[in-house]
Amino acid sequence: MTEYSLDKIRNIGITAHIDAGKTTTTERILFYTGMSHRIGEVHDGNTTTDYMDQERERGITITSAAVTCEWKDTRINIIDTPGHIDFNIEVNRSLRVLDGAVFIIEGVAGVQPQSETNWRLADRYNVPRIIFINKLDRTGADFYRAFATLKEKLDIVALPLQLPIGIEDQFVGVIDLVEMKAIVWEGGELGAKFHDEPIPEAMLEQAKEYRQTLLDTALSVDDAAMEEYFDKGDVAVETLKRCIKAGAISGAFRPVLCGTAFKNKGVQPLLDAVIDYLPSPVDVPGISVAAEEGEDETLDRRRIKADVKAPFAGLAFKIINDKYGTLTFVRVYAGTLKSSETVMNTTKGHRERIGRMFQMHADKRVEIKEVHAGDIAAFVGLKDTGTGDTLADASDPVVLERMAFPVPVIDISVEPKTKESVEKMTLGLQKLAGEDPSLRLRTDQETGQTILSGMGELHLEIIIDRLKREYGVEANIGAPQVAYRETISRPHTEIYTHKKQTGGSGQFAEVKIVFEPLERNAGIVFENKVVGGSVPREYIPAVEKGIRVQAETGVLAGFPTVDFKYTLVDGKYHDVDSSALAFEIAAKACFRDGMKKASPIILEPIMDVEVTTPQDHVGDVVGDLNRRRGMIQNQDSSGSTIIVRAHIPLKEMFGYISDLRSMTKGRASFTMQFHHYDPVPRNIADEIMSKSA
Amino acid sequence: MPASRPRWTRLHWMRGRVEETENGGRTLEWIGCDDAGAPIARVVRVQGPLFSGWRCYRAVALDSDARIVELRPPPPEGAGWLACVGGQVVGRAAQPLAAVRTAEAALTQG
Ligand SMILES: Nc1nc2c(ncn2[C@@H]2O[C@H](COP(=O)(O)OP(=O)(O)OP(=O)(O)O)[C@@H](O)[C@H]2O)c(=O)[nH]1
Ligand SMILES: [Mg+2]
Repeated sequence: MTEYSLDKIRNIGITAHIDAGKTTTTERILFYTGMSHRIGEVHDGNTTTDYMDQERERGITITSAAVTCEWKDTRINIIDTPGHIDFNIEVNRSLRVLDGAVFIIEGVAGVQPQSETNWRLADRYNVPRIIFINKLDRTGADFYRAFATLKEKLDIVALPLQLPIGIEDQFVGVIDLVEMKAIVWEGGELGAKFHDEPIPEAMLEQAKEYRQTLLDTALSVDDAAMEEYFDKGDVAVETLKRCIKAGAISGAFRPVLCGTAFKNKGVQPLLDAVIDYLPSPVDVPGISVAAEEGEDETLDRRRIKADVKAPFAGLAFKIINDKYGTLTFVRVYAGTLKSSETVMNTTKGHRERIGRMFQMHADKRVEIKEVHAGDIAAFVGLKDTGTGDTLADASDPVVLERMAFPVPVIDISVEPKTKESVEKMTLGLQKLAGEDPSLRLRTDQETGQTILSGMGELHLEIIIDRLKREYGVEANIGAPQVAYRETISRPHTEIYTHKKQTGGSGQFAEVKIVFEPLERNAGIVFENKVVGGSVPREYIPAVEKGIRVQAETGVLAGFPTVDFKYTLVDGKYHDVDSSALAFEIAAKACFRDGMKKASPIILEPIMDVEVTTPQDHVGDVVGDLNRRRGMIQNQDSSGSTIIVRAHIPLKEMFGYISDLRSMTKGRASFTMQFHHYDPVPRNIADEIMSKSA
Repeated sequence: MPASRPRWTRLHWMRGRVEETENGGRTLEWIGCDDAGAPIARVVRVQGPLFSGWRCYRAVALDSDARIVELRPPPPEGAGWLACVGGQVVGRAAQPLAAVRTAEAALTQG
């Protein structure tokens, strides 16, 4: 691409439930766009977007790789996203920076519960979508049945632009309802030739019917197109495409295509559809700036339009550490940036000098000298920019809307197999946590154990595996546990004096601290009310540090203490014996003693659970949810399927999948995500405390 | 030999009333004229709910004199357009083009 033109860019994601064929489809796209000259098969473990070793072994996608390719003079930046719920963060952050998505469902099962979850995620970000019904080559595939599940499960106006010719092993091609022709592939191998032919006689009537539906639906978004139709009895292909694009962008309907990525049929028309129907950066309204402190989040805010000449603004949406250093992936919303220029990190308030810039073509990276509005690039050499930070020109230092990160609810303890690798392990885990906002790391003050918090068992397992492969540290892990929190339920004032006289110089520090409960999610707040220098200013940070460190290990069962305020109101010091260390020790002890007297409680994560079950099992399912301390929120039916939503403590959800399967003979499924923290009932608090003792 | 089917009645359709919206106009009706240019059919967009004072009308549409009339009972969901011939509702459809065909079909059958 020589000339830079905004309407010749597509930033798209490929999203679906687990195993629908996202990676396979992306691979085919890379092959057909000519950037990748060998083809990878997921089961051979050599695909290009699944570039981490474990992905190749397990055959699932964990990180989303941003890959650039070109089709018919248009640059397509593709993000392949994982389907497993543990990696929701990846789907989330991808959707955030994309302008459109290809949503894949399977030709055999149609829409599955997990596809629904991902569909709703895309709804949240208003991402325009086209749907690809994949795996039509499989035994039992049925385009029409899969298509019907789109309306049933997702409640959308799905609009076929194609019909399959043949099915299962007889599937040879598609009827293109826009141009009213057949596209037939001459084989199932990679790079198989294809050609246009007239629509087979036997399918002509059906094709005409579907085309009429296509016209009815598509033209209704554009009155000029309706007039053209009334004038001529049909519309030009260009007109029809314009209408389909408008409807796809507004969400009035969702265009549907079909094929089999694995057997290489339908991928080229899918690429055409990406260009014809998904928006370029100028077709979308632009990203909103973040709400100011205290501003109503629901109000319309200033939007940053894609404009190459405007001041630079971009969003860092992904960080990858590899052998070359740290790569920061940035979606550029406005302006032009050249390598070695300086921008503001407006989220954190410091300057960043851009080193080199790259565009990622699968495993190969291509260095670029400048990047423009609408595009995606990876920056090298940023010092302190995290996922979700805004980079902007100092002349217009906007902060873009932040991303919401999921709360990690599962804990495991980690311990290196050899004592010597403690430091290496900590370093590795810190790097991994830097890449992944849904991963947290802390040290238990009492046991000295390193605790990792993540989204689920699979998530944590993969992290431990990466630790081994990428940082050479083998670690033992404890059993997965619920990530409880602690807090207090009434105010208390505590005075603590730390005094030690051993031989020569002593240690002395006294602090008086007021501890108060705060509302949920308020975090930890510090206030300094010391007057007259009873605690010298240079020791205040030591007090803060002492509390912060000690709060990681709560007084009841060692879980992090959250949602409280502490105010340093008074203290005493000694000219010779006081030191920062003495004050840190005093603060820690003051916390341990004070918290115990402030009616501490344990909080547990409550999950939003959605169970999809056939009607006949709904009684069993609901009864079981109640036994798990569930609060049923509502019950919806779609056809003969019932969707039960409930709030249930995470603790009660361990092993749920197998219980649910045996209860419903494998016919029900469920999804869950974190909803809020609640105090645990007394008996369970006792159980947790006795375990930790 | 099957009996020859009656010739399909094709009308000349043109845009009727338009409602001003934030992003341009929204067509509320299409008017079908015969070859002599006389309006003989209409398809109208079902709107609603409409709140007026203390009452709420679930579904309303414009009649040929552009008065808002209540539709009772309200059409089922997904029936966004009414096909009218000579002041009579002859059918419903989700999309205006389908409603146009419904109106023409009613005329074809006579
Ligand atoms: N028969 C058939 N198999 C397919 C097709 N597309 C993908 N597969 C197979 O389905 C399995 C899953 O495909 P992937 O491409 O890894 O699926 P994914 O959606 O990326 O999966 P996750 O990243 O784990 O969510 C692999 O074994 C593929 O070979 C298809 O069109 N037909
Ligand atoms: Mg994958």
